[in-house]
Amino acid sequence: MKPAKKTTITFLLFLLLSTFSFGVYAQSEISGTVLQKNGTPVLGANVYLDGTYDGASTDANGKFSFTTEETGVQTLVISYVTYETFMMAADVSQLKNVSITLKEDVNSLDTVVISAGTFEAGDNSKVSVLKPLDVVTTASALGDFVGALQTLPGTTTVAEDGRLFVRGGDAGETQIFIDGIRVFTPYTPTTNNIPTRGRYSPFLFDGITFSTGGYSAEYGQALSSVLLLNTIDEPDQEKTDIGAMSVGASLGNTQKWEKSSLSFNGTYINLAPYIAAFPDRNDWEKPFEGYAGETVFRRKFDKGLLKWYAAFDGTNFELTQEDINLEDGLNFKLNNNNFYTNASYSGDLGESWKIRGGGSFTYSKNDIGIIDSDIDNTEKSFHLKLKLRKRFSNRFKLSVGAEQFFTDFDEDFQNPFAQANYGFNNDISAVFAEGDIIFSKKFAMKLGVRGEYSALFDDATISPRASIAYKTGKSSQISLAYGDFYQQPFNDILKFQQDLESQKTQHYILNYQYSAKNRIFRAEAYRKEYSSLITYDTQDPTFDSNYGNGGDGYAQGIDVFWRDNNSIKNVDYWISYSFLDSERKFNNYPERTRPPFANTHNLSVVAKWFISDWKSQIGFSHQYGSGRSYTNPNIPGFLQEQTRDYNSTSVNWAYLISQQKILYFSVNNVFGFNNINGYQYASTADVNGNFNRRALLPAADQFFFVGFFMTISEDGTDNQLDNL
Amino acid sequence: MKKLLLITVALLSINAFGQGKYEKGMMKAFDLWKNGKSSEASNLFERIAQAEQDNWLPPFYVAQVNIFNSFNEKDEEVLTAQLKKAQDFLNDAKAISKDNPEILVAQAQLYTAWVAFDGQRFGMTYAPKIAQLYEEAYKLEPGNPRVAFGKVEWDLGTARFFGQDTSTFCEDLASAVALFETYEPKGEFHPRGGGDYAKQSLEQNCKKE
Repeated sequence: MKPAKKTTITFLLFLLLSTFSFGVYAQSEISGTVLQKNGTPVLGANVYLDGTYDGASTDANGKFSFTTEETGVQTLVISYVTYETFMMAADVSQLKNVSITLKEDVNSLDTVVISAGTFEAGDNSKVSVLKPLDVVTTASALGDFVGALQTLPGTTTVAEDGRLFVRGGDAGETQIFIDGIRVFTPYTPTTNNIPTRGRYSPFLFDGITFSTGGYSAEYGQALSSVLLLNTIDEPDQEKTDIGAMSVGASLGNTQKWEKSSLSFNGTYINLAPYIAAFPDRNDWEKPFEGYAGETVFRRKFDKGLLKWYAAFDGTNFELTQEDINLEDGLNFKLNNNNFYTNASYSGDLGESWKIRGGGSFTYSKNDIGIIDSDIDNTEKSFHLKLKLRKRFSNRFKLSVGAEQFFTDFDEDFQNPFAQANYGFNNDISAVFAEGDIIFSKKFAMKLGVRGEYSALFDDATISPRASIAYKTGKSSQISLAYGDFYQQPFNDILKFQQDLESQKTQHYILNYQYSAKNRIFRAEAYRKEYSSLITYDTQDPTFDSNYGNGGDGYAQGIDVFWRDNNSIKNVDYWISYSFLDSERKFNNYPERTRPPFANTHNLSVVAKWFISDWKSQIGFSHQYGSGRSYTNPNIPGFLQEQTRDYNSTSVNWAYLISQQKILYFSVNNVFGFNNINGYQYASTADVNGNFNRRALLPAADQFFFVGFFMTISEDGTDNQLDNL
Repeated sequence: MKKLLLITVALLSINAFGQGKYEKGMMKAFDLWKNGKSSEASNLFERIAQAEQDNWLPPFYVAQVNIFNSFNEKDEEVLTAQLKKAQDFLNDAKAISKDNPEILVAQAQLYTAWVAFDGQRFGMTYAPKIAQLYEEAYKLEPGNPRVAFGKVEWDLGTARFFGQDTSTFCEDLASAVALFETYEPKGEFHPRGGGDYAKQSLEQNCKKE
């Protein structure tokens, strides 16, 4: 017993003594100074030995000093917000009066971003010009994301079309992607003089990037522009949304589980009651009817996220439109069914490798009747894509990827005199590589190249892309971008003739951006060169036309954007102005001239005012577009005259009845401007040798909308204000 | 028998020596924080966090210090840097301790700091997330005073924003405040604060005229 006790006491004593002795004898002092690159001391940096408790914070002179019981080689760590963490391994005895200069962290928020050509919308982007909410609260947009983007500079006012026309480009020159995967038929089909809308509801997206030129090598088959939509990664909560509108109804539901979630959204639109109350200039046999269902499923894995998106929609209507050459008018009927599905996976592969891949399938079927002709067409398209990204360091990242497009288009034409069946198969394979190099917080560069092979044309193209950005001040920067872009002729040409080449543009962009305190100013000058545009020699593309790639043209201009969310309390507004000078020879143009979709001046003013006392948000927007060109056959020339200017003012009012109930009103073109989109001339001259004309007017000058929206959620605080 | 006891004592004291550093460090950090030296407190919690990789409390407190500092911060750059740091450490804490109501509350507070900074800009994005976080936390531990109080205070603020009657929340607010008196923290250095602020809030919101 005794010896044992003694041993224990000795042991305890030893323990106490050793601790004590460490405390007295084996302490070394570590000291030094922490500076910024320019020599200014850093206050409050955290300095410590890795894996120990020993450390200190730097004082106002950047000085630190602390003691440690550690011996031998240790790692000294210095961490400070917005700087890269500094590490140094050395023997503790040498860590005295060290002087350390911290390197700026290029991942931090104030690093230069390549902004030439690109507008970002989203909470995560560094400089966001448009917020997801704006899509639904902009007065003129009526919940259509395309409508909201039309208030940004670089777009032109083509009111009767509804699609995006970017910098002198035709609408088909813009491609739309959901989660990086292409959408082949993004717009609801319509007919002459009735604007279309984007098919997809803004409810399901939380990030929008709109590039008006100079975009990444990851994206191809777009001459002018790309629009990237990202679906929500993780919904906030379970809820049910119910909407009753003057033109239809909607229902949405979101369910959440531990690792996955499912959202569903359905809409039914029927314009019959509205047209009965406010008849328009068309004679509707069957007013517009549309139904749409969308669903998103998301599943989280340990190192990745899988998203599956599917949308089905149907549209049908029949109407007779006034036509100067047809006494009884032009009868048009349409029945469209469209299915789109896309699945994508993004995840970490370890060792700084990231993977993103997915695929989409589109099935679109149109039954069209024009007077006594029947046109039935079907488009089936696939897109498969895989992209790998490696982060070599904070300053160098490399992406490589490959993708495959496949389209099968088939059309039947039938009238009492003729019958035909035609179509095409189109395979495009592409590879791309792109490097992001950040030299410093002030200077960054992106270099990319894209190669495409078209099986249809048996032809390969190589497109280089490059952009640089330089920070000129605390809140300002300039960017430059260059790129070559190829796109195949559109389906309405390819279905008749496949012995063609890709069309080409080259973009040169100079961008200046200032952003501080919720204010953004952007100015961008650009020049676009078009070549190998499609030409034909008939009124419209047909079997008998002679097609070629002999067209060319240019577009140049200046886009200016100003958004201010700071100067006036509770008011957020933006102003966009675009100047565009563009001429081209394409289609059946006899000479190079300004096409009708490329008017010279465009201006948008959008404002939102939140009035707490009234529990209301009031929105205002004004669109101005200078005149558009048209051909007057009574005088010599082609597209030689201009329509009068376009003006439209829209207002909306969202009133919160309670947290979960919203009443919404909007009026488009509240002042009832008489806008003229162009003229249709008679195909034969009258007795005096004059060609008579008819103005192409919108179906209705104004549009009214009333809606009631309600949200049912567990905690009772969510509402649909962000859906309006 | 005596031998066994002594060995146990010896082992315990060894254990105490091992923990002593942690306790001393945490205590010093809380001391710094109390005395207004929040950046030094944050730095010390950060040092403890990197030494104690399996303990959620140090990274939680790094986040907490930075979140509290962010309320009333007017400079957007400073706010962004602080909240980004807070988010990073909150992510670390989440990775160590899953389904932890205290961490969920801290996450809700982090979003609230953004809303407080610019409600018009961040309100619509973060409001549903905040509500959902309190909801989740409440499911996990309804008797936790910070959870109960945070949830009622948020709901009350929302109701006030929409111009609704807030008096219906007073009963819940009072019972949440009472929870601070009786709640036993789950361990040493586990969150225990917030009671004073809660009382203040009760007085301000539910004063009888």
